[in-house]
Amino acid sequence: MIRIVSLPKAAVAGVCGALAWTAVLGGLQFLGLPSFDIVKELGTLAFAPDEPLRWGAVGLAAHAFVGICWALVYAYFFWSRVTWPPALQGLAFSIVPAILALFIVNPQFALMHLHRDAVPLTWETVLPSISLAQLGGLLLGHVIYGLAVGAIYTRPVGYGAEREGSVPHLPRRAANKPPRDRRQAGRGFMFATGIECSYPTIEHGRWRRDEMAATRHYARWQDDFELALDIGITHIRYGTPLHLIFKGPGSYDWGFIDEALAYLHDHGPEPIVDLCHFGVPTWLGDFQNPEIANALAEYAAAFAARFPWVRFYTPVNEMYVCARMSALDGTWNEQRRDERAFAAAAFNLAQASIAMTGAILAVRADAIFVNSESSEFCQACCPDPEIQRIARFENERRFLPLDLIYGHPISDGMRMHLRDHGIADADIAGVMAHNVPIRSIIGVDYYEWNERLIDSDGHPRALGELFGWYVIASQYYDRYQRPMMHTETNRMDASDGPRWLWRQWHNVQLLRSAGVPLVGFTWYSLTDQVDWDIGLSRAVGNVDPVGLADLNRDIRAVGLTYRRLIEMHQDQPGYRDCPALARLLAS
Amino acid sequence: MSGFLAAHGYDPGPTQRPFTSGAIAGLLATPPAIFLLHLLGSLAVEARILGLSVIVTIVAGCLVMGVAGALYARLLGRAANDVRGGWLFGMAFAFALWAAGAVFVLPLVGNGELPAGRGATGVFLSLVLWGGCLGALLPFVHRRIHLNLDQPGLAENLGPSLAARSPSKQ
Repeated sequence: MIRIVSLPKAAVAGVCGALAWTAVLGGLQFLGLPSFDIVKELGTLAFAPDEPLRWGAVGLAAHAFVGICWALVYAYFFWSRVTWPPALQGLAFSIVPAILALFIVNPQFALMHLHRDAVPLTWETVLPSISLAQLGGLLLGHVIYGLAVGAIYTRPVGYGAEREGSVPHLPRRAANKPPRDRRQAGRGFMFATGIECSYPTIEHGRWRRDEMAATRHYARWQDDFELALDIGITHIRYGTPLHLIFKGPGSYDWGFIDEALAYLHDHGPEPIVDLCHFGVPTWLGDFQNPEIANALAEYAAAFAARFPWVRFYTPVNEMYVCARMSALDGTWNEQRRDERAFAAAAFNLAQASIAMTGAILAVRADAIFVNSESSEFCQACCPDPEIQRIARFENERRFLPLDLIYGHPISDGMRMHLRDHGIADADIAGVMAHNVPIRSIIGVDYYEWNERLIDSDGHPRALGELFGWYVIASQYYDRYQRPMMHTETNRMDASDGPRWLWRQWHNVQLLRSAGVPLVGFTWYSLTDQVDWDIGLSRAVGNVDPVGLADLNRDIRAVGLTYRRLIEMHQDQPGYRDCPALARLLAS
Repeated sequence: MSGFLAAHGYDPGPTQRPFTSGAIAGLLATPPAIFLLHLLGSLAVEARILGLSVIVTIVAGCLVMGVAGALYARLLGRAANDVRGGWLFGMAFAFALWAAGAVFVLPLVGNGELPAGRGATGVFLSLVLWGGCLGALLPFVHRRIHLNLDQPGLAENLGPSLAARSPSKQ
């Protein structure tokens, strides 16, 4: 697994480790105990022993440099390979430099102190005798170094939620892309990708995950858009960082977003703006806060007023997943694990989506909403009535947020469940009493883990692609009867990405041929993502190779495949002018 | 060990040429290292140990460093191809290489002597300098020699029939 490495953190850890070694062993020497003076050993390579200030400075700098080098090796190759406490991980790692120090590095330094330019290779020259004090000093020094590096080098991605800064102000370079062809804009089938942008908190609200930061989109936003255009992408799901922009009631810091959206306006791809993606600003707390609907509606209105040309919006992304991960699985944000908290989160998220939709429509009456949701399906493993009940309940629960925003009748069982967990019938009726915008598209995401088997213990297990997107998406279409879009898919195994892409595409074609009004397809995301293999639950920095391009923006095989797919289809009848989208726009 | 190394690259993308870019960057990083070797008197020591003239030693050094650069770029993949931190990663790589005993190659292929004194210091410092230059140069070289997306045949095997392929092993 490739890791994101925080170079500054690794450098600080290495320097601190070296300084801690020097301080502790210096202290032992000061107390008159025999030890090993690594600073003198290194410093006297450059200056005579009677110049302590000079050799001290050089020796300390050299030791710090060596400390940085080993800390980088630790960060790239060893960090988080085991789930031990960080300091112990560092301690275990320090065995490597300790052994090399004993058998190679220290003997080499001894050779460097000789006043000869070459010596014969013998056991005596490569393994000079070492005193017990030297041996003890070397080992103790490495123990201290390892503990310090391990303790300091943690969480290479994300940042303290209380220290959230502002969105970087990055200027736009001269574009090397032609202006967007507006005659074509908006009528063709949407060949989309997205910029991964999740920003939930973990560690009970103390640590912010920020995928745009981890994937370096803030620094490389223009490269990302140009890469998307090179692939042939027509639409891009784009989640502006709500947690950094929305500073408080009436207070916004737009940062580079002005420049980024201006680029998308001028050159494309056309954005599908995602306003809330798994997190809220620290000052709003979490999804248990009933005030988030009003607050996010204010934000949505401000966004729509600032960027009046934006047509496509996802007010809240994957409400079901967000509520589940935050309030039922205990992973993000409020990190609760109870049904009451889940009901509150799902209800608040749906309320927020409805309020944001209304606020956007007040500014732009012809806005189009892509209500993206994760497709889920649970299959009971056996005829056991309890297992059947769990599967039925989960298959009902997956629809809850969409039912609320689309005003679809909620089943009696689910209504009773909500009632038992703090959501009164009147609250439900209040939320559902709104006009659903005609220009709404159901976005159905699909990954290999979306289909689950409820096993004989009542626990869900990932099934892989059993029924496939066609079957699951059909269930969503049958329920809501609205235009649809495949809004997310990818494959964790990069080598299997091209095969997966074509299979998903064939699902899309089959659903279209069955008469379902399908308006778009999305490979998510443009670049690799970070830590999604562990559901963003810990700040480890694992790079998941799911992107059309890697984090250096070098295209992957799946990116080339998508390019070929788009070239093959974009000018075909039914794709160049997508009838389903045309009908939606005319509505 | 292969697991540790595999952690840093994944297979290179279809437009990447890691071997070539690594070899070029490795070669380009060699002159500063040779200059430092010469400055500290280590070049003559190396030549003597290897039993070669200084010129031949330089040529051999360039070849070895080109190969080392190619392996560095291929094995360490994305970690090596980093504009911001490549120089530091390259230095750390070179240091680790030295600490792992790279210097013992000299006596093994030469007359059985090891550099010592200033000669040994020069070998160490020049290797670290080479690593820093290699790491700094690689991302820029890599960008220059990318295959173009429109290269004929690049997406030849990526057509719709892939859907019928068996899933690859995870």
